[in-house]
Amino acid sequence: MLKYIISCCFLFITVIVIGQEAESQKKVEVDEIITKTDSITGPIPFKKKYGLRVGIDISKPILSLVKDNYNGFEIIGDYRIKRDFYLAAEIGVSEQDTRRDTYQFTTKGSYLSAGFNYNFFRNWLEMDNEIYLGMRYGLSTFSQTVNHYTVFQKGTEVNSVSGVYFEPKRVETPTEHNDLSAHWVAFIFGMKVETFKNLYLGASIQFNQMLSSIQPVNFENLSVPGFNKVFSTSTGIGFNYTVSYRIPLYKK
Amino acid sequence: MKKYLIVLAILLYTFTSCEDDDFCYEETTPRLIFGFYDKDSPTTKKALPIYVWADSKDSIYQLATVDSILVPLDTQKTSTLYKIASTNIIDEFNFNYTVSDKYISESCGYIAIFNDFSLKSHTSNWIDRVDITVTKVENETQTHVKIYH
Repeated sequence: MLKYIISCCFLFITVIVIGQEAESQKKVEVDEIITKTDSITGPIPFKKKYGLRVGIDISKPILSLVKDNYNGFEIIGDYRIKRDFYLAAEIGVSEQDTRRDTYQFTTKGSYLSAGFNYNFFRNWLEMDNEIYLGMRYGLSTFSQTVNHYTVFQKGTEVNSVSGVYFEPKRVETPTEHNDLSAHWVAFIFGMKVETFKNLYLGASIQFNQMLSSIQPVNFENLSVPGFNKVFSTSTGIGFNYTVSYRIPLYKK
Repeated sequence: MKKYLIVLAILLYTFTSCEDDDFCYEETTPRLIFGFYDKDSPTTKKALPIYVWADSKDSIYQLATVDSILVPLDTQKTSTLYKIASTNIIDEFNFNYTVSDKYISESCGYIAIFNDFSLKSHTSNWIDRVDITVTKVENETQTHVKIYH
């Protein structure tokens, strides 16, 4: 349900953006004037703030409150090393219950990912917003607990009606698979907007590709903290909605 | 900026709307396969009209003329009693086994496989003899029980 609400929010964002079209067109005109000036005098050197930026993923505490099958928290941080180049990292914990037709399991663990972001958005004047592409190496240690399961059996046809012939075996004793780990690479596309001085709002989408993982015995890593649901192609998708604050160290 | 936002919105909308298909297409808990053979020529299959049911349950096969049948085993117990009737004469087959559970895939979950499979007892009213060809019922690719009549 929530994912539909989130999707709807994004639809509204799109609408708002279209509403601002006229304004941004003006900007483009001004931009053109600036570029023309640039060609004569060279680029105008607007200084950018350098420093450590730290924050949290706000979607995760909200989801923890709203959903009864999820608990998670994530701290994010990045450090500007060049005008458009940032070292970035995330660290988090999560606990997720997944219910399927014949079984239910809990994935619990912590994760760390580190890499870089490259900003390809050309800012106007002294603005410092970003639209970036990034890469991460991710690592997670976790446990999988199969809480219960029922063995899967095809229906038996009796009098032309397919149904259960013998009640299938059901196991209610949880099985815990500990000391599991996984590592992966992630490609990120996202943006950050400076809303107040040094305060940034961000959104990003992350495409994960599993490199390797330690699988539980007689089960499978269907979900991994930080990687999220593992699709059959060993891929995953993640979303981040962040609030972060830049601690300015120097300008350049 | 606007273009990127729209692209991102579409991407998010697309990917959050996807869910995996939830059907189990792989192997499930194997059924027990009986084959009916000619007692005088043991390699030749010989079909006959039969009734098949497990003790105190409904018939799975009703006067079906077949040379092999597939029936489920009880995964909650360690034995299943099947009755096979041919022209109103009934023979009983009592199978013993232990059940172990095997994880298959995300959509199938767990299935049962039957180890230490044996025929504990049987009657020979219309049948000539019985052969158990496996010690483990783990798939449906071969005949597990051969009945000669």
